[in-house]
Amino acid sequence: MEAKENNQFGLEESHGDHISSHSPGAAGFVTPLTSSPILSASMLEAFFTPGLWNHRTSSCTMSFGESNIQTSTSGINCVPIGKPVAMSNRGMLPSPPPGEFPHSLPHFPVDSGFIERAAKLSCFGGGSFRGISHLGPSQSMTPPSDASKDAIGARVQKAELNVVSLPVEHGTIKGITMNNKRDRSISHVGTSNNKSREGNFCEDGQERHTGSADAAGNSSSSDLGANKRRKATEEMEKEKDQVLRGLQSSTETTKDNTETKCKSYKHSGKNAKDNSEAAKEGYVHVRAQRGQATNSHSLAERVRREKISERMKYLQELVPGCSKVTGKAVMLDEIINYVQSLQRQVEFLSMKLAAVNPQLDFSIEGLLAKNLLHSHGGSSSAAGFSQEMIYPQVYSSQQGLAHAGISSMLNPSDAFRRTLNTEIPMTSGYKETSLQMHNSWNEQLVMQMAYGANPPLNSQVINRKPDGFTI
Amino acid sequence: MMACHFLRALFRIQQTSTSSSSSGRSRRIRRAAYASMAYSAGTRRAWSRALLRKLRSRARLRFPRRLSRAATPQRRDMDQAQVLRKLVPGGPSMDDCKLLEETADYIRCLTTQVRLMQTVMDSISS
Repeated sequence: MEAKENNQFGLEESHGDHISSHSPGAAGFVTPLTSSPILSASMLEAFFTPGLWNHRTSSCTMSFGESNIQTSTSGINCVPIGKPVAMSNRGMLPSPPPGEFPHSLPHFPVDSGFIERAAKLSCFGGGSFRGISHLGPSQSMTPPSDASKDAIGARVQKAELNVVSLPVEHGTIKGITMNNKRDRSISHVGTSNNKSREGNFCEDGQERHTGSADAAGNSSSSDLGANKRRKATEEMEKEKDQVLRGLQSSTETTKDNTETKCKSYKHSGKNAKDNSEAAKEGYVHVRAQRGQATNSHSLAERVRREKISERMKYLQELVPGCSKVTGKAVMLDEIINYVQSLQRQVEFLSMKLAAVNPQLDFSIEGLLAKNLLHSHGGSSSAAGFSQEMIYPQVYSSQQGLAHAGISSMLNPSDAFRRTLNTEIPMTSGYKETSLQMHNSWNEQLVMQMAYGANPPLNSQVINRKPDGFTI
Repeated sequence: MMACHFLRALFRIQQTSTSSSSSGRSRRIRRAAYASMAYSAGTRRAWSRALLRKLRSRARLRFPRRLSRAATPQRRDMDQAQVLRKLVPGGPSMDDCKLLEETADYIRCLTTQVRLMQTVMDSISS
């Protein structure tokens, strides 16, 4: 893959040499370059100037990582290769802001070179930009501990792989282990397919964040470099926007958007760590994922859509036989049919009950009703209350009917208990305790009716909680 | 709780309307069913609040029992949302997101009520 990229620029060998050799290079040469954070064209220039490249590789500093990012971002700007400004930008890459990317390693120069190449290659495709952006930050993020050439080579390969794959899958850079916090955000960017803009934004945000994060421990030069780089990235972003206009749907992203996106990137992303987080932490922070528009309106729309899909899933569980149904329209049809069928059932049952009513055993109904009523209302009352309430009911109704109804009541009460038990999970959201008490009272009444010796039974029943009805 | 309300209402209906027509009684029973549903849901739900409002206003409980005769097979999502809004009490004043939420709760309550009524029916007929 390197070969492909290098072929275009003809710098493969040089890059390879650069990669393998971490020549200290001309530090002085590097410093002036580092002063200018704008990398857009600088990286391109780097391609054409192996000498500079050598210098850059030699610097091998964290700043390089920064530069990588910038270069990656600028990679898309293949056009302004010949800008002199770019030269200065390149310079900044190697040395100055070591604080910016504490993890930048000497390997970065090599990687950045590859990234640049990839950027150039992909600049025509537009999608490579994203990958490059990923490569830049990701590489910068790689801990300095991996200074071994092998590591570099691996990273380079990874970068190349990522870069190569960029045109195909925008920004699907995976496998680059990120140890840094920034890595996380970067990895998010890299792992998820995002539009180039998002990648750019993420980078910008990252840079900003890194700048802010490193501000404390970075030297002033690094801060300056970071600021410069930010500006450069912003400028690059604008340039990129022009290039990627066709690729990106939302062209309204601004710095604010980038910041929000960066925030969202930090939160969102498919990093292993963050996968668990996923979704939205709160209603305020919406995670913009790669490949999705990060406009404020689209974010809100996405939130809304996610809510709706969540509710649709819940409805799918409620409506029987809808687990395999996919699609909103079909699902809504099923829901409508189900609601209508339920309402029809209620009407039908009410008609049936009206027809059956004359045959109802008044006592049963009344006793049950009262029992339920009292059990519901007496959940918090003492046993005596229940006795007082139930006794009059028992004695008010016809004794004969009451006795006759006891046996039949036992069945209905059992049926009711069963119903209530089934209802319990349904109405779990409602007063569960009352239902429990309800059942207990139900049993209590049944016991009373059956034995006729209420006081002792009441106390016993009351004391005996309905273990079987525990919800 | 729902059963309590419903049975009370049933009992009351039975006592009061022994000679009324079955259709009138069925209407009252249906009203009692929905009332018990609404009472069990309380005021936490928009649909129960709308239902209670309807019941208290003594308005005729009209339920879209039948599918619209002009139920065109090509129902778009917008129409579906409208149909759903007609079905669920208090639907018209809800946005799509809330509508789905209320629909879920309404379905839950409806199934509970249907089961309760079936149980009463079985207990009565057995």
